[in-house]
Amino acid sequence: MNTFKKIILSAVIALGSAAFGGIANAACGKVVVASQNWASAELMAEVDKFILEKGYGCEVELIPGATMPTFTSMDEKGAPDMNPEQWANAVYVPLIKAVEEGRLVIANKAPITGLGEGWWLTPGSIEKHPELKGMTAVEILEHPEWFPYKEDSSKGAFVGCPAGWGCQLANAQLFRAFEMEKKGWVLVDPGSAAGLDGSISKAAESGNPWLGYYWNPTSIVGKYGLIQLDFGVPFAGRENWDKCITVAEQDCADPKPSAWTESEVNTIITTKFAKQGGKDIVKYIGDRTYPGIVMNGMLVYMADNQAGGSDAAIEFLSKHEDVWTKWVSSGVAKKVKAGL
Amino acid sequence: MEFFTKFPVMERIALMEMKKGIDLSFRQFSREYGNGIEAFFDPLLFFLVWLEKLLLNSPWPIIILVIAILAWFGSRSWVLVVGSALAFMLIGYFGMWNDCMATVAIITVCTTLCIAVGIPLGVLMSKSDRAEKTILPVLDMMQTIPSFVYLVPILMLLGIGKVPGLIAVCIYAVPPIIRLTNLGIREVDKETLEAIDAFGATTWQRLTKVQIPLALPTIFAGVNQTIMMALAMVVIASMIGVKGLGVPILRAISNQYLALGLMNGLAIVALAIIFDRVSQHYGKRIQKHREGRNL
Repeated sequence: MNTFKKIILSAVIALGSAAFGGIANAACGKVVVASQNWASAELMAEVDKFILEKGYGCEVELIPGATMPTFTSMDEKGAPDMNPEQWANAVYVPLIKAVEEGRLVIANKAPITGLGEGWWLTPGSIEKHPELKGMTAVEILEHPEWFPYKEDSSKGAFVGCPAGWGCQLANAQLFRAFEMEKKGWVLVDPGSAAGLDGSISKAAESGNPWLGYYWNPTSIVGKYGLIQLDFGVPFAGRENWDKCITVAEQDCADPKPSAWTESEVNTIITTKFAKQGGKDIVKYIGDRTYPGIVMNGMLVYMADNQAGGSDAAIEFLSKHEDVWTKWVSSGVAKKVKAGL
Repeated sequence: MEFFTKFPVMERIALMEMKKGIDLSFRQFSREYGNGIEAFFDPLLFFLVWLEKLLLNSPWPIIILVIAILAWFGSRSWVLVVGSALAFMLIGYFGMWNDCMATVAIITVCTTLCIAVGIPLGVLMSKSDRAEKTILPVLDMMQTIPSFVYLVPILMLLGIGKVPGLIAVCIYAVPPIIRLTNLGIREVDKETLEAIDAFGATTWQRLTKVQIPLALPTIFAGVNQTIMMALAMVVIASMIGVKGLGVPILRAISNQYLALGLMNGLAIVALAIIFDRVSQHYGKRIQKHREGRNL
């Protein structure tokens, strides 16, 4: 009996202290946030960690992750509690299912504005061929001679996606849909992320024209001021995109020209954390929107200084007060500022 | 006490500035000279493109015939001739012909380039102890430095494509031929050299008529090693936009396509075995010829 009493007693004390702590810092407790292996996700995870710890008194642990493993673990195991930057296209169906079945909550539908994939130009392209300004992709495709291919100068080079990436299929199918081969283009496979980045920085540094696939938010876009192209055709429907553009050539022979699909990025949290964290934290996550320009600026900062997420988070919180103070109440903002 | 428990590390800001400085100066260098260096390599690119087009546009039976003939001249062994022809037919049958030809083209150009650079350097090393002392550590570095490290500056300087890929492959593949040329010449029998000196040969005659011929088997072992190492680099080269068997392998890695990876991997193995056996047999035949003469 004695031990039983002790257990009850300690439980009461624990509860009491938890309740007391709750008054002080909104009963946040321990939170595990996924820090995915690319710069913007790292930055967001570190900023969340800082604000949740300093502003809301949570105890935040960051664990490394990547799109698929993190999502699977959150869906199946309920941990980590939060993924600041979940790219939804990759997990579209299971995410909807998990939300319907009450395991996950989409806490923020657009944590970064102006993001997405598509076709881009280097500023040097417009300097060399001023006619390019304001042209849509469809119009540019009539002029392969503006983007000469190094290995066969009679052709134009369109730099696609590295071998093995999902976007490789999409670019190859769009290449066919826009009949680019007939128009005199070559689809260049850059081989790897490093190859793609390298081809852009090489072209941008030397002021040469470059046309190809890229995405935002990225330091490359921010650093070299890449210009996103309007495709000049509307998005030709989910049916065409899901069943044809994103599959291999042998599985769909007649892709229709289409603009790139809208990319959806969410901040997702587990239902458990949504309850445990409370209204204030959920509201913070919902209000937390990084303007695309600010995000690109931060990514450039990270790349130029070879800074990790934690250094960049401090830089962001101290340089962009106007952005993040809107996300939190003035009381929390004060606490975060004090923590800097 | 803290001095002993905590390693005296360079100050964080200074370290960052240093890294930034190195990056920036290289960037400026490539901005300044990138186009010039690119133009310098244009003939190489031209040759590579030409060879690849030749291999791709010739009818496949002719290519296989040429390969069989080369195998025969190299090895004089029917097994190898039939084996190579069969291997290439299988590669083609499994839909890897174009990738395979692209790989053969880059390996051929790479080997030629390595021989052209490697043998003179090896000769230089064998002539001068000082040259040997300076070049050896560089070769050690070239062979051990992870290839991803030099991919970055190559990309910044030359962008993506065949030439940067070729250079990356050559950095990795050229050391054995330099080393073995040096070794082969240094190992030539001292008495033979005395004899040739006694006949009043010039240095050039001594080199071309005695040292290189006698060192040929060793040099050939170097060529063989160079080809093998170039083949091993095919996948890495694909990461900076070189077409060939490496591309499907990269696709297989990122999508876990077992069969695709295995087939293209085995195609590389087949190429390697053919090149290896043919060049080894050739090397041995040179040796046999010499032994015959000595007897």
